[in-house]
Amino acid sequence: MKLWQSAGKIWKRAMGWVAIGLRLNSSRGFISLFLVGASLSLAVAACSPGNNTATDASPTGGASPASAQKQDVELTLVGYAIPRAAYNVIIPKFQEYWKQEHGQQVRFSQSYGGSGSQTRAIIDGLPADVVHLAVGVDVNKLVSAGFVSEDWQKRVPHNGTIGKTTVAIITREGNPKNIRSFQDLVRDDVKWVTADPKTSGGARWNFLALWDYILKTGGDDAKAQNFVTRAYQNVAVLSKDARESTDAFIKQGQGDALLNYENEVILAKQKGEKLDYIVPEINFAIDTPVAVVDKNVDRHGTREVAEGFVKFLYTPEAQEEFIKLGYRPLEDDPGKLKELNYPPIKTLGSVEDFGGWDKAQKRFFEDGAVFDEIRAQLGR
Amino acid sequence: MTVSPPIQPVPPDASRWKVFLHSVIHMPWTWRIMLGYLFFMLFLPVSAMLVKSGTLGPGEFWRIATSPIALSTYDVTFTTSLMAASIDGVFGVLVAWVLVRYNFPFKRIIDATIDLPFALPTAVAGLTLATVYSETGWIGSLFAPFGIKLAFNRIGVGIAMMFISLPFVVRTVQPVLMQMEREIEEAAWCLGASSWQTFWRVVLPPLFPAILTGVALGFSRAVGEYGSTVIISSNTPFRDLIAPILIFQRLEQYDYTGATVIGMVLLIISLLMLLVINFIQAWGKRYDG
Amino acid sequence: MTDNTLESSMQTSDNPAPKPAVEKKSWVPVVLIGIAVLFLGLVLYIPAINVFYFAFHRGLGPFLHNLTEPNFISAVRMTLALAAIAVPINVIFGLATAWALANKRFRGRTLLLSIVDLPFAISPVVAGLMIVLLYGRQGWFGPFLQERGIQIVFAFPAMVLATLFVSMPFVAREVIPVLEEEGVDQEEAAYTLGANYWQTFWRVTVPNIRWGLLYGVLLTNARAMGEFGAVSVVSGNIIGKTQSLPLFVEEAYKSYDTEAAYSAAVLLALLALVTLVLKEILERKTGGYRKKMH
Repeated sequence: MKLWQSAGKIWKRAMGWVAIGLRLNSSRGFISLFLVGASLSLAVAACSPGNNTATDASPTGGASPASAQKQDVELTLVGYAIPRAAYNVIIPKFQEYWKQEHGQQVRFSQSYGGSGSQTRAIIDGLPADVVHLAVGVDVNKLVSAGFVSEDWQKRVPHNGTIGKTTVAIITREGNPKNIRSFQDLVRDDVKWVTADPKTSGGARWNFLALWDYILKTGGDDAKAQNFVTRAYQNVAVLSKDARESTDAFIKQGQGDALLNYENEVILAKQKGEKLDYIVPEINFAIDTPVAVVDKNVDRHGTREVAEGFVKFLYTPEAQEEFIKLGYRPLEDDPGKLKELNYPPIKTLGSVEDFGGWDKAQKRFFEDGAVFDEIRAQLGR
Repeated sequence: MTVSPPIQPVPPDASRWKVFLHSVIHMPWTWRIMLGYLFFMLFLPVSAMLVKSGTLGPGEFWRIATSPIALSTYDVTFTTSLMAASIDGVFGVLVAWVLVRYNFPFKRIIDATIDLPFALPTAVAGLTLATVYSETGWIGSLFAPFGIKLAFNRIGVGIAMMFISLPFVVRTVQPVLMQMEREIEEAAWCLGASSWQTFWRVVLPPLFPAILTGVALGFSRAVGEYGSTVIISSNTPFRDLIAPILIFQRLEQYDYTGATVIGMVLLIISLLMLLVINFIQAWGKRYDG
Repeated sequence: MTDNTLESSMQTSDNPAPKPAVEKKSWVPVVLIGIAVLFLGLVLYIPAINVFYFAFHRGLGPFLHNLTEPNFISAVRMTLALAAIAVPINVIFGLATAWALANKRFRGRTLLLSIVDLPFAISPVVAGLMIVLLYGRQGWFGPFLQERGIQIVFAFPAMVLATLFVSMPFVAREVIPVLEEEGVDQEEAAYTLGANYWQTFWRVTVPNIRWGLLYGVLLTNARAMGEFGAVSVVSGNIIGKTQSLPLFVEEAYKSYDTEAAYSAAVLLALLALVTLVLKEILERKTGGYRKKMH
């Protein structure tokens, strides 16, 4: 509140100067007004982020080569948007833990955004130490760009998966169209909404889940392609990303069903959206990976703390925060699942069934691959 | 005739090259600022893009630029932008006229809010438009009973484009209207012209360059706009998928080169359209005086 | 179109027999104002009210709470700083360009004008991408900058560049039509009377173009504050460091903090409209355009 008061004072004083300036003739008045405006805004600028970055940057610059001396360290965490709320709680806990164990103060820079955009930013020079992305294929991209070493999945528990979830079908209140499984998405009277696998890395999980559904119910690849094509022909809106598909369905009333991730549905419910959803029994494992960016931690001298942080994420303390946000527990414990009210899943496919993300990406989503074939038939 | 000081005369026996050199050296400072800034801010980045897209062979460039989906998105983007900018042209002039010439309640507030489309972050603009114009929204629900769908199709895209480019027309026409001498109109009136005649013959001609400028700006903004239009579009290929989204799709595949190809195509088509509009304007002005 | 058809079409569409001007005055403005307000209502106000509705529909409490969040305040500062840098620089460029190009006839003028317009037509994402291609790690100047430890992309400088880029042509485009409508007669008269270059500029040109300049500044400011696409590509979106207000809005929205997103958007809209206060003052102090309108 103080900020606004002082801003008000500055404004008043500036207006005083303007009034003095304007007693001159009109053109001079205009210029002085303009100059005052410009200098005022420059003053605002000068006392804010420029300084901000300067004070933030100088200790970092000093700290990174000298982390051996147990000075403060700065860790840059780059992630996709959804787990942010969990990190808001986990990070202070980790800072406390690290200070006790190593006597070192850890400061965090955090950046959250679309998984693909974040990956591109790192390749173009965003100095991330730890990443939490929505799709394994994005980490693979960092591997091939030389930022993450190839054995990243072997160095941490659960193959680098930190947030686990699955696909949910959200329906209109009371499920008037009686949508029970992925099979219903090809019905003539059903229109549904999803994010576009072309623009949303995460939406590729939905695509794979549909494909996998046919394989798991006894179909072959040809049947699967036929099914997925028909399903996508029923799509009312192909949103840019998962968040926008939620709004297209809820706020803008498009379609009869929405395909989204279980954890996002739970998060949306926590944030006050009203929605009914089902989790199909034949489903697909969505694993969001965490990784240490080897190239950057070696350059910043932050490897120790970065690896410590990743390790910390697997502690029950930290996992609890992810679960609060709607992710499933990493350990497959039916009792715990029931206790947390997660619907049971009978058959769970995974991207490994397709030979891992690199192969799945090449087969389905590259230029001219299966999804492009399907897409070419959409609006026609 | 120019406002800047006259350029020094060139020695008569100078060669073409020397003439060029001379004019560069004795360039007025306005030109130096303009060209320097354009070079640094526009030419350099655009050439970076050009070089990047040039790393593909012409065959590959052509393949990406003219794939059936790409062609359909150009169609959607450019025709819808042109429509939106033209509608804005008509109503924008009306709004500017009303704001400059008449007094009515809340006029100042209305005047103040014209710039709103710029100030709202594009995603918020897209969301609110999609919400208001969808079948369940405040405006969309009025049209839904007649079977008219205003969002998640090309109409929706057009509405978003109208929204984001409206300030251009109003704000380009407004200052010219303010500056215009009212005496001429009054003279025309006194000489017995009807108010329509006065408008068409006296008011509109000097306003025309400003209107065209506004429409051109609005059009080009609508072509490039992405954040808000993508939300109100259903993104169905061949129906309402807009061209800038192709760039984003390429980026999601880490295909910078392919992204720059689509970027180049959009750039070239927009430049051509801007050239046409600016030519019409220059041509129109010849008969002005 | 010939004069006859023009006239007849106008008269049939309007009213067959021209009525006296006095009577006309009474209803024409009302109709025109009505249409304008209706149009603005549909395209502008109802969507805008919807934003306000979402920002406030849980009461004022959450809204005020969002405004006091430190990350939010740093985002506001960053946005103000961006605008404070972009506006003066683009005003200088815009005035120089307008002056260089208005009321001139030379080959290539139309091309040059179109080039000046071009930044609008470049999709913001591409604008950001171009900056990355120049200054990013793999960009043209990337190795050079890295050797010297200069960080441009994913830091404040690139955000400035992106903002400058997207708001580049406004001032020029606003001032050129005014200069052309105004003509150069007054300037020429000033020259003939012995005024020098600067005197003419300050005493004659600036007062003449002040409305165009003002609207140029308004648009530049609003766009500089509101830009998302280009800035998001080059900023890295580091909370508290390189996160401007539109990026804050986007991130809040993406993590389902819808109220925070909308209330920040409302504030952003209000911030950009603050420049209109300047306009208001200018209008009052200089007598405004009414001077010309009697």
